[in-house]
Amino acid sequence: MRRRIELYGRLRDAGQGAVLSVILPENATARQVLDAVGSALGPNASLLHGCVLADGENVLSAREQVPSKGRLAVLPPVCGG
Amino acid sequence: MRRLTRITSSRLNPAALSRAVSSARHGAAASFVGTVRAVHAGRRVKAVSYDCFAPLAEKELARIAAEAEKRWPVKVAAEHRIGLLSVGHASLAIAVGSGHRAESFEACRFVLEEIKRRLPVWKKERYLRGEGRWLPGCALHRKSAT
Repeated sequence: MRRRIELYGRLRDAGQGAVLSVILPENATARQVLDAVGSALGPNASLLHGCVLADGENVLSAREQVPSKGRLAVLPPVCGG
Repeated sequence: MRRLTRITSSRLNPAALSRAVSSARHGAAASFVGTVRAVHAGRRVKAVSYDCFAPLAEKELARIAAEAEKRWPVKVAAEHRIGLLSVGHASLAIAVGSGHRAESFEACRFVLEEIKRRLPVWKKERYLRGEGRWLPGCALHRKSAT
């Protein structure tokens, strides 16, 4: 299954722009999505340190299955304010 | 009830936020306005870009305000601006109204610190000289359902 993954903050400068397309297994977990994003980022995969996956409602734990629909985003450590 | 939290690309209006939380029953009001500073870590800043995962940020900001209102007898309003902001422009505004001063101060500080810890917002400083840089931040974690 192909999914669009949104990238934010420092990940936007990782050479892939603001959106990444990755192929995921059925019932993929958040960890599997992050691993797929890491593979796509190649030499910039270290930028994923401290990042989490989220949908439009919540941050997802690593072992949580990602929802089959809706937005998915990789979020670096935050610094609003 | 009108929503008193939002993420916006428009200029903030702290006075309007303060009016939104005012009440004849309140004897205290506290507010906070965060602005873009001209110098950071010895480098001269010309602007800051605020990036945001809006759907989650809107919900998280509303959750933070609701948590403050559950913890203290207060009314909270908060707005976070996104986009490119020049030095001196307001990026964050919080207003809290309450019966007495202690809970206004405490709730205002709580909302500010939770925003910094939980809101999916990132800032990239743009300098007068040299390349910009994304500022380091606080890693997010899955919060247990409450």
